[in-house]
Amino acid sequence: MNRCAAARRAGMLFVVAGLMLSQACVTSRVEDSREAVTGIAGDESIVIMAKSYHLGNETEDNYIACVEEALSRGKQGLNVIPHRQFVDSLFPWFEPRTAPAETGGLPKLMDRPGVKDKIREHGVRYIVWLDGDTEKVAGGGSLSCAAGPGGGGCFGFAWWQKDADYTASIWDLDELESAGTVSADVSGTSFLPALIIPIPLIARTQAAACKGLASQLRIFIVAGDAEQKAT
Amino acid sequence: MSLLATACGSNVRLDPPTIPEPLINTVPLHVAVRIPVEFHGFVHKEEVIGNEEWTIDLGRSNAVFFEQLFRYMFDSVTVLGPEDDETVISYDALVEPSIDAFEFSVPSQTKTDSFAVWIRYRLRVYDPDGRLVGNWPVSAYGKSLTTMMGGDEALQRAAVLAMRDAAALMIFRFDPDQFMRTLSSGTEVPEDAAPGNDDKSAAAARTTPMEGGSNE
Repeated sequence: MNRCAAARRAGMLFVVAGLMLSQACVTSRVEDSREAVTGIAGDESIVIMAKSYHLGNETEDNYIACVEEALSRGKQGLNVIPHRQFVDSLFPWFEPRTAPAETGGLPKLMDRPGVKDKIREHGVRYIVWLDGDTEKVAGGGSLSCAAGPGGGGCFGFAWWQKDADYTASIWDLDELESAGTVSADVSGTSFLPALIIPIPLIARTQAAACKGLASQLRIFIVAGDAEQKAT
Repeated sequence: MSLLATACGSNVRLDPPTIPEPLINTVPLHVAVRIPVEFHGFVHKEEVIGNEEWTIDLGRSNAVFFEQLFRYMFDSVTVLGPEDDETVISYDALVEPSIDAFEFSVPSQTKTDSFAVWIRYRLRVYDPDGRLVGNWPVSAYGKSLTTMMGGDEALQRAAVLAMRDAAALMIFRFDPDQFMRTLSSGTEVPEDAAPGNDDKSAAAARTTPMEGGSNE
């Protein structure tokens, strides 16, 4: 009987946790700004790169990997060249110090020995430069845990808020110009209530920013042509 | 476990990095490169406030790095040890790389999630008559965010990035024509471009062919 009651209590806790999990709040805003007509052929590919840390950027490697994966996934996935493979094959022209910071530097870059051929070999039509990061902007609450011979537990409540702000600048390597930008601004608040057992209710802020940015990027690049003509 | 390692510091050993083959035209010169003793076993220790001690052992990384880089940059390269006599071989230029300064920072110092490595190399270039014709500082920087694998991997990555940065900088600023003019002019430059003396270093750097353009 006691076992049944304990199992019921545990079940209730999971239900409550599940309900609260759905309430860990995330708000997001994804926008784009177009400067040129886009479009991509089946044999063309894109590269996702982080803007240089020499310029103060701190885009995380796992965020780049997430966007790469999200863009290449599914039937309508784009050909995405892994950024490290691309950077190595064009060494040293896309290192943090040497990569062009503006599209104005592209003609000179293309004139360097072997660069144009290597880019053509990869079939790279667009370079997407990511700028931004995810950071904790606020937090509070109090949580304490204790353990004794008879058992242990936690009591209290903690919360924290993370903001994920990313901007993707799309460069068209055929036209040597900027095609536009896509930005994702996501804010998420996570909670950690504890009544004996702490129940983390994590807002997946960075994942939401990755998903939102990747899906808008795909629309921007693939449907850009039709979108532009329609307007 | 990784938290414990971070709290007490760590010993990080770097395997020699592999520099990708650069997209450049090689310079038609025979260059001799003298690899100093320190490039075969460079160890740097950083004590952080709070009894945290980090040590990085670069091992042979610098030796391998410069050998690779110069083989990519020049048609022909002869690698000399610290005691080898350069007068028994013929060459167009003798390059002696060294380290002026090495520093790194860990997240507990900077209150960020990043490890950063700074390396300031110095390249001394001698013409075939033994005159010092180039004395150039090369300041490189690498930064890597802490990963789930812990700080060791991030520090290793930052060191590799700093070395790649040095290679990129040397290639980016290297002007082969000016390098050849510098060699043929035989104009000596001061030996005393001391580490940390930025004015002298800058003055020496201005006399070098490592002033090329940029992509901007």
